[in-house]
Amino acid sequence: MNATKQLMIEAKGVQKWYPNGFHALRGVDLEVHRGEKVVIMGPSGSGKSTFLRTFNALEDYQEGTVVVDGMELNNDLRNIDAVRKEVGMVFQQFNLFPHLSVLANLLLAPIWVRKRNRAEVEQQALALLERVGIAEQAHKFPGQLSGGQQQRVAIARALCMEPRLMLFDEPTSSLDPEKVREVLDVMRQLAIDGMTMVVVTHEVGFAREVADRVVLMDEGRVVEIAPPQQFFNHPEHERTKRFLAQIL
Amino acid sequence: MPVPWWRDNRKLGWLIQLAAGLFLLLVIALLLGNLERNLARSGLRLTLGWLNQPAGFDIAETLLPYRASDSYGRALLAGFVNTLRVVLSGLVLATALGVAVGAASFSGNPLLRGVTRVYVELVRNIPLLLQLVFWYFAVFLNLPSADQALQLPGLQLAKSGIYLFGADLVNGELVGGLRLSLELAALLTGLVIYSAAFIAEVVRGGIASVPLGQWEAAKSLGLKPLQILRLVVLPQALRVIVPGLNSQYISLAKNSSLAVAIGYPDLYAVAETTLNQTGRGIEVFLLLLLIYLMLDLVISVVMNAIDRLVRLQER
Amino acid sequence: MKRLPLTLRRQLFATPTDGIITVGLLTLLSWAGWGVLNWAINSAQWLVVRANAAALTIGRYPEAQEWRLWLLLGMLTSLAGLSWGRLRGASGWPLNDRIAAGLLVALAVGVPPLLAFGAINQMRLLFLLLLLLLGRLAFSHRFSQASSKRFGDWWALIWGVAYLFGLWLIAGGLGLPGVRPSDWGGLLFTLLITSLTLLLALPLGVILALGRRSSLPLFRYISVGIIELIRGAPLITLLFLGQNLVGFLAPNGLAPDRVWRATGVLTVFAAAYLAEAIRGGLNAIPRAQFEAARSLGLSSVHTMALVVLPQALKVALPAMGGQCISLLQDTTLLSIIGLFDLLGIARSVLANPDWLGRYAEVYLLLAVLYWCSCAALSLGSRALEKRLASPGLQSNPKPQ
Repeated sequence: MNATKQLMIEAKGVQKWYPNGFHALRGVDLEVHRGEKVVIMGPSGSGKSTFLRTFNALEDYQEGTVVVDGMELNNDLRNIDAVRKEVGMVFQQFNLFPHLSVLANLLLAPIWVRKRNRAEVEQQALALLERVGIAEQAHKFPGQLSGGQQQRVAIARALCMEPRLMLFDEPTSSLDPEKVREVLDVMRQLAIDGMTMVVVTHEVGFAREVADRVVLMDEGRVVEIAPPQQFFNHPEHERTKRFLAQIL
Repeated sequence: MPVPWWRDNRKLGWLIQLAAGLFLLLVIALLLGNLERNLARSGLRLTLGWLNQPAGFDIAETLLPYRASDSYGRALLAGFVNTLRVVLSGLVLATALGVAVGAASFSGNPLLRGVTRVYVELVRNIPLLLQLVFWYFAVFLNLPSADQALQLPGLQLAKSGIYLFGADLVNGELVGGLRLSLELAALLTGLVIYSAAFIAEVVRGGIASVPLGQWEAAKSLGLKPLQILRLVVLPQALRVIVPGLNSQYISLAKNSSLAVAIGYPDLYAVAETTLNQTGRGIEVFLLLLLIYLMLDLVISVVMNAIDRLVRLQER
Repeated sequence: MKRLPLTLRRQLFATPTDGIITVGLLTLLSWAGWGVLNWAINSAQWLVVRANAAALTIGRYPEAQEWRLWLLLGMLTSLAGLSWGRLRGASGWPLNDRIAAGLLVALAVGVPPLLAFGAINQMRLLFLLLLLLLGRLAFSHRFSQASSKRFGDWWALIWGVAYLFGLWLIAGGLGLPGVRPSDWGGLLFTLLITSLTLLLALPLGVILALGRRSSLPLFRYISVGIIELIRGAPLITLLFLGQNLVGFLAPNGLAPDRVWRATGVLTVFAAAYLAEAIRGGLNAIPRAQFEAARSLGLSSVHTMALVVLPQALKVALPAMGGQCISLLQDTTLLSIIGLFDLLGIARSVLANPDWLGRYAEVYLLLAVLYWCSCAALSLGSRALEKRLASPGLQSNPKPQ
């Protein structure tokens, strides 16, 4: 690894218990460098989404440290706000704002959080919509779009804040099979353009093509981290082999 | 580096509550201070001893034996009994009428459906108080005198009251049978007609929530419409109806307090008179609040029990 | 088309029971209808309404100052016309609008002579109608679409300012002699109190609803306490509290005018019920919306104001509409504590020995007035719902 590359995410010994006592994260470590693409896989309930969501403070943790882009995520409200500005997230259920048009969805955060000029943001937003391939839907409402279109809008919305890190939480799991491809294409292009990405997904093809490293999580722990070649063809751990046998 | 308190996620919540709590205590202290001063000035310290003093006013009708020389406490009790009379009979009658109208709105007869629609839309959009004064002043006060009483099956309507279950004309007056005063009759009529419209909507919503397939299956088994309703649809509709009825019943109980406008001596009316005579605003108000809240609570508890019963039967 | 009466007839007499019901209802309805009409035309004495029209509409507002009320009415009617035009856009005059316009013309031309309004007032009413229709025309004509859109964002503000200005005008602004709130009465009073209470109760209701859902226990318990206490008590006891007990709590027993005290009570009362309706709306918004907004960096305040509340209020709109109607009906209770809303004035008119026994006439008129107002509110709320609905279905995909 290039020594001058900065650490985008540094998570050490992260532990999380839910209020009902369930031990969701049992000491997880992960390092993500700037420009790296990391794919996290694992069975349901393994804690992969929970771990992902600690990176933008949607989940808190009781022990360990998570440092994103040099800012430690703890109780400090200023840090939390600062991190959220630089980290974009795409959800499994799209979560577009139904009462606003597509364009308005994109404009909302930059105007109110970054306090930017509306005309300038609008230009950028339209360019982004062009980039993800839905410029002509700018004035429609989310309810009028298909799932694939909505997810692409969600990606554009996150990008409009000019984040330094993009998190994807099973972005294609709620899509019809024909629509999965159009969203993966957008993510692939994003990766090529150099964005630091952490993606929780089941899409093996995407992981093989795009990921720099693949992480397997199970029962709140990191089981194996390896480049896709090694991960899919010569996995080290038993559990990895068992998991791959199920999904391949 | 420790996080300063104004940015600390975990501490901020408690600090805000502390500040708000202190402010609230300050305001309450201020108000209580004023209260204390004003009470002292008018010579009315907070106490319940005055409940034992003789009331000195008459109550137009009571179930409880009561004389003007009885205590205020007894007067309020009599008022409360009057309220219970209205609420209990009102609940029964309004439910009966409401269920009938609600079921009728699914009838095959378009005229019947239309009539129920008109009834509900009419009654819901006219204030209850207006309906009450209308019934009392424009209708019941215009009933003929006893010797020309209006005869309906089982009922006799006259200026001196409404008589159920047979009353005989004796020397130009009606005696015997169960007598309702005009005030009570008007109050009941208005309350029942008003509440039944809302109950009908609740019932209608409940019946509508039963899937069409249930009706079709029952019909194909050869059951007749009324049987279908009674044996198949209503039991299932009850799951949705019972919670809705809860709030309607509480409304009815609260609306009974409008009796004061037409001279029926319910709890609120007696309380108002008591206040006028004793000037003990705070005590009277607190008593009223307590009693009505208790009434609401009893209704809710009973309805929740019924709710659980209805739900149990489906597993 | 000819088949329609046939199917109707078949349905009305499908079974013997149906037949009996139909015949029975028809007889009952025609007998009742005939009775009412007969009474209305022959034995009812409508003079009581004519003679007291002024009192019923505006209470004891000084006659010399009536022009201020007409001015306010003119302002509101023009705004209403413009709003109507905006709502319809450039779609011309759909059937509903033509029916409504026709009805209004018929009412404005036919009713005043019936109620023996003076010639001047009749002219004023016709002028108001003209303002309404002109406003409608102005904003729906395709030439003014641009200006209509430009005003769009400010429309709510314009209404708010006009309302407050009108209030100030009536009370005594612009150096005009003041008119005490206790002198406003009748229909004017009822409408003013309802609108003012609603305006104040909405933000209070939002605050209570948010408080009830708060994660901070102090705010949650206080909100729950206030809401449950108010919803459990009959309104009349609360009004009673307002009238008699505020004096005890204020310094030196001073207290604001009775009207403001009653308004305060009504506001808090309406706010508690509105809070429940709004809470229902808030509960319907999935947590994911909060998360999406926070993950974009929006603060809690921004999230609430820009993302969650707009959606929640839309969902709660039907329930809130119902509360509006309840509020209008609850203003009648003010008559019990001696204030002169529409019902209160009516009862004081009926107490006048000149008009003894004319209960049916007056109360029927009131019933019509209230029914029309509530029905109008109902229709308006439904129209608002349709207008505010976001096109298409909800954003989130169907669960798998």
